[in-house]
Amino acid sequence: MSATNPEMNHLLAALPDVERLRWMPRLELVDMPLGQVLYESGRALSHVYFPTTAIVSLLYVMENGASAEIAVVGKDGIVGISLFMGGGSTPSRAVVQSAGQGYRLTAQTMKDEFNRAGPVMHLFLRYTQALITQMAQTAVCNRHHSLDQQLCRWLLLSLDRLSGSELTMTQELIANMLGVRREGVTEGALKLQAAGLIRYSRGHISVLDRPGLERRTCECYAVVKKEYDRLLPLKKAV
Amino acid sequence: MTTNGLLNTTSRENQLLAALPMADWLRWLPMLEAVDLPLGRELCAPGMPATHVYFPTTAVVSLLYLTRDGASSEVAVIGKDGLVGYSLLMGGSATLSQAVVQSAGVGFRLPAHVVKSEMEHPGPAMAVMLRYAQALIAQVAQTAACNRHHGIDQQLARRLLMALDRGAPLAEVQMTQELASSLLGVRREGITAAALKLQQAGVISYRRGRISVLDRPRLEQRSCECYAVAKKEYERLLPPPSRVERQVEVFA
Repeated sequence: MSATNPEMNHLLAALPDVERLRWMPRLELVDMPLGQVLYESGRALSHVYFPTTAIVSLLYVMENGASAEIAVVGKDGIVGISLFMGGGSTPSRAVVQSAGQGYRLTAQTMKDEFNRAGPVMHLFLRYTQALITQMAQTAVCNRHHSLDQQLCRWLLLSLDRLSGSELTMTQELIANMLGVRREGVTEGALKLQAAGLIRYSRGHISVLDRPGLERRTCECYAVVKKEYDRLLPLKKAV
Repeated sequence: MTTNGLLNTTSRENQLLAALPMADWLRWLPMLEAVDLPLGRELCAPGMPATHVYFPTTAVVSLLYLTRDGASSEVAVIGKDGLVGYSLLMGGSATLSQAVVQSAGVGFRLPAHVVKSEMEHPGPAMAVMLRYAQALIAQVAQTAACNRHHGIDQQLARRLLMALDRGAPLAEVQMTQELASSLLGVRREGITAAALKLQQAGVISYRRGRISVLDRPRLEQRSCECYAVAKKEYERLLPPPSRVERQVEVFA
């Protein structure tokens, strides 16, 4: 894994210099292994996380144990918005779905920084709006689009949050995230492989033809990406 | 904008305005404009900057997403429990959703510039609004999960309960089957079948665009868990104002 620095996270990179200097000593670098639960549904959050190379899923787990991913957060964002929105917890559960690293801040530091108002508050609220867009689009996508389209969308969302073009991901995990049966994911992945878009072997997915994936996905991928770019144009090159 | 017909409503019937500290409410009062919200009125178009934040009192508003091929799907329902125009709080100004009145009524509104300047120096009033935004996020997320896992029968029950909670104090929901079908994003035939089942079970009676809920507890049993989960989260984030505060209101 390449060396990581806070500015690999787009929100941390977008902080004004004064804030970034103030935050630096308080940002703690953490490993985020696959499957780690960052917070449980309804539990008070101890930290907020800024992934740099890890990807985190926000999942809703139903009473019967079925799950559905409502949003994906990687180097584009922050995990734990309920801390500054004021709720302190949320019904969703945050799970690392692609191992990597990130930085974290204690809950109290995050609250204090947000309550200073000013640029930090505005940046984080804009990110929150982008996250709402992603959730809303997921709601619509779950209603109207096919599993094949959603699989492409999900791969693209993950790719955007990684540095390479390889995902470490079992079909089981994808099925859990999408909230569909494993067989459906297997079938969808086979089609993509047969079309030469991906190569799947033992929990590794290599994306061979990204434009091809973009053609096969539903509009939801591009719609959300465009809205992120509109809301968060601040990111500087890393 | 006329205020005729609005005499029976006060801004404090909106639960967010009711949750404002008295000082903030008094400060906002002269800026709050009473508005009629007729069926079908578009409060904000997709991609367009919001001009106002709306606080419905008797109207109910849908946030709808339209797909490229014209299909629609509701991502949230807002009535006296909330506000329309969260993008003005968050700073993005526009959203991708369409805000449209789906049950006629009235409400109050604040101009965009007032909300923006409040957000420059946020105090307790904005803290209330952000807590609501979090409840709205929970609702949107629950809708995403619900759309994945639950059937039309459960979703229709859920949607009717949400309308009841946000609408006038009658056990009646104005909703044609066409509307229900576009809100839930399913075919009309599916709604007709689901409504028929509820009617035959004596839970609702349906007549010319009006649904009377005859047996709310059984409607709750027929809904998926999503209704209760989102409601509980809302109540956690925005507990009802204390009795003391309500008494103060009388003298305000």
